[in-house]
Amino acid sequence: MKRPECIRIAFACGIVAVIFTIFSARLVHLHITKNKEYKQLAAEKHLMRQVIHAKRGMILDRNGEILASNLPVRTVVADASLIKNPAAVAALASQFLGLKEADVLKKISSQKKYIVLKKEVPEEIYVDLDAAMQKAKLRGVTFEQDAIRTYPNGESLGHVLGFLDHEGKGIQGIELTMNSLLAGKNGYRYIERDRTGKEIMLYRGAEEEPVHGKNIRLSIDMSLQSILEEEIDKTFKELKPETVTGIILDPKTGEVLAMANRPCFNPNEPGKAEPEQMKNRAIIDMVEPGSTFKIVVAAGALNEGTVNEKTSIFCENGRFLYGGKILKDHHGYGDMNVHEILVKSSNIGSAKMAMLMGGDKYYEYVRKFGFGDRHGIELPGEICGLVHPPARWDKLTITRMPMGQSVAVTPLQITMGMSVIANGGHLMAPHIIKSVEDLDGTKILEKAPKVVREVVPEKTARFIADALVGVTQPGGTATYARVNGFEVAGKTGTAQKVSAKGGYAAGKYVVSFVGFMPAEDPRFVCLIMVDDAKIASNLNYGGLVAAPVFSRVAEKAARHFDLTPTLPPIPLQDMPMAKAETLNEATH
Amino acid sequence: MNSPLTPQTRSNPIQLAKAIKFIAFAVTVGALGLSYVYLKNQQFALGEEIRLTEKRIKQIRAENEVLLAKTTELSSRRALQQGMMNGSLHVVQISGDKIARLTPASPAMEDGVLRTASNERAAR
Repeated sequence: MKRPECIRIAFACGIVAVIFTIFSARLVHLHITKNKEYKQLAAEKHLMRQVIHAKRGMILDRNGEILASNLPVRTVVADASLIKNPAAVAALASQFLGLKEADVLKKISSQKKYIVLKKEVPEEIYVDLDAAMQKAKLRGVTFEQDAIRTYPNGESLGHVLGFLDHEGKGIQGIELTMNSLLAGKNGYRYIERDRTGKEIMLYRGAEEEPVHGKNIRLSIDMSLQSILEEEIDKTFKELKPETVTGIILDPKTGEVLAMANRPCFNPNEPGKAEPEQMKNRAIIDMVEPGSTFKIVVAAGALNEGTVNEKTSIFCENGRFLYGGKILKDHHGYGDMNVHEILVKSSNIGSAKMAMLMGGDKYYEYVRKFGFGDRHGIELPGEICGLVHPPARWDKLTITRMPMGQSVAVTPLQITMGMSVIANGGHLMAPHIIKSVEDLDGTKILEKAPKVVREVVPEKTARFIADALVGVTQPGGTATYARVNGFEVAGKTGTAQKVSAKGGYAAGKYVVSFVGFMPAEDPRFVCLIMVDDAKIASNLNYGGLVAAPVFSRVAEKAARHFDLTPTLPPIPLQDMPMAKAETLNEATH
Repeated sequence: MNSPLTPQTRSNPIQLAKAIKFIAFAVTVGALGLSYVYLKNQQFALGEEIRLTEKRIKQIRAENEVLLAKTTELSSRRALQQGMMNGSLHVVQISGDKIARLTPASPAMEDGVLRTASNERAAR
């Protein structure tokens, strides 16, 4: 080969080599130096992290009745970059979603990649729209899975169940306290999509299964809840009080069987409720308990040996001057024993028992009964009430507190206090969660009854219970609490309402009745509390307003429990005219 | 100028063994390539089927949940009570002999109280 030929060949090879070297260098640059940047760009275009939503657990009553469940819905989302025919998409979407075509067209003309067209679209509409889109070969609209929480019983048990915010987090009731268990944990999956937005299964990346939320079984019995709701609703409508609260619980286990308040709200529509309607007054309201609190001083004085069953206390004929103030009884009484003091609900007798005990000892019993402490029920916002220690008492407190003044307690605390007497002297921990279960019903946690402390021995509790039976017998303050065929034990409470301006509000009362049945072997304790019933003052007493409601609830509850009557039927009593009309009659 | 070629060097005999090897190699590579493409297509097709099946399962689950929610709503106490109130539902009294009791029965004649058939154990 001649030299010039070799040179030419070498030159040509050199050029080719240089070109390929440049290409190689560029490839190296793209694949190694720019790797991260282009990978990111490609990922943004095709790769996405798909969230696999965890199913929120249901809330059930003790018998498995569904109280809160999920309704699957869809969020319709448009990706304008994938829409080739906006007008056709707008026409179709607006037809199925009930939106204005012009509005949809305006939205999808914005070239954004994530445009929410409509939220909470029912599943059946989604199916139809998806089919229509496919038929018309239109793309660019996706349907994200979502769910709305539904409470099939509406207002019933609303305060206990609570509701969710727009992000699906519990913000009240069981939905809040049990949110971590109910919510579960969303899963994820990395997917790649083709140019039409469809997932390419071949390139499905790492994924993690969702952990579905647990079902929460409450101790609530919806049959009892229904009974309680019906009665307090009737009371709320008839007497037009500011609030009515009712609680039924099992004194032996501390299980809350029913809890209701009026006014109430519908958790399906929390936005329509006023803040006042949303309060679970059974645990967040504190009131002066009135005479229901007398069980504390009686039990304490008996247990400490300050008095015995036969000790006679002079009740000053209804007017007792102490600390410069006169303490009055409803009627003038002379000498009475503990039994009679409770039956007649003597303020003076109770005050004298506390004075005999001494402030420190009495305060000790108030606390032992659970007043001044949170019970730790699984509901948000429980307050501890207000019980001042003896160091902060004035001279009159020792005479006022035993009759339920100068102390503020929650309705739940009153009910738990009465449970101590009903169950033989134990303070139980109240609970409303019965168990936590997997979706298949396997129990993963079960709440056992928990004794907080022994407050008084069984003998003392039994003595007080016997006296409380007397309260509902002829001559007692709550004959209207009686139930045909059963022995009822209980105590009325009539407390003047504390005014926001200080002192007491004239003519306004918080009346209550808390009792248990059957007295000899209680199956339930029930509290009915009515705040400021609009009736004449001479009728606004616990024994006339709250006791009849208790009687009706207890009678129906006895049927529900299938309790065997132990007493002969009692003759029908004329009911007091405890109705709203009475106010008009009394004032005119 | 080059020397004239001998008859042996002028002929271009086909080396059959080598050609067969080459053809076999080419066919194998081609078949492998086609198989790869075929398998990829199959994978895509199966993937699409899986995707559609997953979508269908999801849809059925969602429909199931919708039905559960509707059943719950319709059989809720509130709905049943409303049905009772507006007369679309009514309760038929159970005769005493049809009631299975776990606790002794208390005849209505004895105490004048209407007894129910609630199951005590279920309520506990």
